[in-house]
Amino acid sequence: MPGHRTKGFCASAAALALCAVLAGCGGPGESAGGGKVVLRYTWWGNPDRAARTEQAVALFEKQHPDVQVRTSFSGYDAYKQKLAIQATGGDAPDVMQLDYRQIDQYASGHVLLDLGKVKDDLRTGEIDAGLLATGRVDGTQYAVPQGRGTETVVYDVAAWKASGVPLPKQGWTWSQWADDVRALARRTGRPGATDPGQSEDAFEVWLRGRGKSLYTKDGGLGFTAGDLTRWWTFTDRLRREGAVSPAGQTTQLDGSVENTPLGRGKATADFNWDAPSSGYLALVKGGVALAPMPSGEDGTPGQYFKPSMFLGIGAHTGHRKEAAELIDFLLNDGHAAKILGATRGIPVNETVRNRTASQLKDFDKTVADFQTSLEGTLKNPPQAPPSGDNALQTTFQRDYDQVSYERMSPREAAQNYVTEAKAELRS
Amino acid sequence: MTTTDIPAPTARPPRPASAPTRRPKREREGAAWVFLSPWVLGATVLTLLPMAVSLYLSFTDYDLFNAPHWVGLRNYTQMFTEDPRYWRSVVTTLTYVVIAVPLQLALALVVALALKTLKRGKGFYRSAFYAPSLLGASMSVALVWRAVFNDGGTVDNLLGTGGWVNRPGWSLVAVALLTVWQFGAPMVIFLAGLQQIPAELYEAAAVDGAGTWRQFLSVTVPMLSPVLFFNLVLQTIQAFQVFTPAFAVSGGKGGPADSTLVYTLYLYDRGFVASHMGYASAMAWVLLLVIGAVTAVLFRTSRSWVFYASEGDR
Repeated sequence: MPGHRTKGFCASAAALALCAVLAGCGGPGESAGGGKVVLRYTWWGNPDRAARTEQAVALFEKQHPDVQVRTSFSGYDAYKQKLAIQATGGDAPDVMQLDYRQIDQYASGHVLLDLGKVKDDLRTGEIDAGLLATGRVDGTQYAVPQGRGTETVVYDVAAWKASGVPLPKQGWTWSQWADDVRALARRTGRPGATDPGQSEDAFEVWLRGRGKSLYTKDGGLGFTAGDLTRWWTFTDRLRREGAVSPAGQTTQLDGSVENTPLGRGKATADFNWDAPSSGYLALVKGGVALAPMPSGEDGTPGQYFKPSMFLGIGAHTGHRKEAAELIDFLLNDGHAAKILGATRGIPVNETVRNRTASQLKDFDKTVADFQTSLEGTLKNPPQAPPSGDNALQTTFQRDYDQVSYERMSPREAAQNYVTEAKAELRS
Repeated sequence: MTTTDIPAPTARPPRPASAPTRRPKREREGAAWVFLSPWVLGATVLTLLPMAVSLYLSFTDYDLFNAPHWVGLRNYTQMFTEDPRYWRSVVTTLTYVVIAVPLQLALALVVALALKTLKRGKGFYRSAFYAPSLLGASMSVALVWRAVFNDGGTVDNLLGTGGWVNRPGWSLVAVALLTVWQFGAPMVIFLAGLQQIPAELYEAAAVDGAGTWRQFLSVTVPMLSPVLFFNLVLQTIQAFQVFTPAFAVSGGKGGPADSTLVYTLYLYDRGFVASHMGYASAMAWVLLLVIGAVTAVLFRTSRSWVFYASEGDR
């Protein structure tokens, strides 16, 4: 409703502009002293991804001597909050990494540039049409997927082998998983896994394994308080048995691998997305391996291939051409692909993917092999979550905190969550 | 009252508007406005306007991305009747105020008393105790704090507590300690107040046979009460707005189990995480009113316990 803008709004806009002048704070599109174009590129990830991104960016700068790229990154939670604040202030970075959950909100909020305007500098022809479409809102391409990811049970190979519990295999069910973490806890003396109760992602996999989904087609809630009660009762029981991480450990999760029980050496396994699991290598001495997510009791798979993350351009950037070139480089350049490997998932450019597939090494190969092993066994991904989901992800964790700290029963917490979710999705 | 030889403006004989004697005054006024302008501009643009916008937003539904739309009092009614987490944040904040303010003031007073009697190195100790107030506001110290009180952290190793920041019963205490530790500002004010107390009073009290404790109760406390009151009001207002320590210690989430979800942190969460700016604005206005009310109550009670030296003349 552009007609609804009020005087107060114009005034605050004027105030912001004035503040920028007074404080001399640089808005988007600032220039460096040497007359170079400065691009701000922000993303979330782990130190491994940081090192490789810096290398790729350095190569880009070498090829574009007139451009300087200023990168910054943080863990997912912090990134999400910081980006929201920047976007609100009209100060969104020139190039930003986005999550599936953010696309809808940011696109409809005019934070993202219509990429059709830069299609000469940003080639998308070699990206699978279906995958590319996930970055589209109301028919307009606002973001380009950067990789394909899927969830995984990542585990400390040495510890799991030493425990004598049979290694996880394709097609295992949630009850088999539960038996395994119990056995692991018994034999290793520490929890078998991170408590998945706090994770909306893990819940989604469990839910899909039962033929349901987080959201309905029209953006409503796709499950009942009864479903959530069942999930939380299941995880809460495992927690009480000591089979999964205790509340004090679980509550410290913040999206970074360093603060997970597995990363801290306090559990044998964890749930994560496949690509970021490379971060555990530096923390787990015996190395880590990837196993598929448990499926429903009747064998229905819950996990799916998801566009792991997107790249978008700030709507107010002063350097849309250079921003587009940077994205194009990160997605389509063979050298960049070699440097980046699978750190953001398997590359989306078909040619690049085919060419690099054989060159992938170390953990990149692990991720690629893991995805190949799942090819053809999974169901279609759900559509992009409605914008309210952004807040609900946090609410989910908080409500489960009440369960794991035994302040609420799973049923009470589930009812609270469903009430709040319905209100959130309506507004 | 004595009269001065400068005549009051009304007593001046009327002069024509163009009279040269009036111009300097107007010029002086002009100059004053020029010098005041940075402040006036700052106050208007950075305080008054945003406040007005925030008041307007509190009656709207505004998600940061789309234009706000008017919902009347809905944010306020939702806050009071439908949001259990809101009330939890209110209780958490009150608990925090009750823990942090008395602790901080007591510590500030004790240190100020100790420093007052110090013969040498006063300057050094004063700076040393003031330093945390300068450093403590920074995020880095708050993060160190988190590490110290985490499981596997220093406090855990020393006391075997299993860490405080991951236990709902103790996390708020860890947050409060971070504030209490920054007692430098009230301490300096106490110190200034203590030095204002005439030495004769202590001498007189000593002559009357009062010991140290008696002197403290009968001389120091009443003489210091205006300063104590000032510190109390200031620290209470600040405590109601606590944000950084709770944010840093809980990693921005107010956890575990909402135990450090203080009012402003929940406000931030509603505004910037859940994108409900209208709701967050409404929360901010309620906070403003509550702080105003609490301050008024403190002023009311002060009549019975704050002793101003001038009253002694009555």
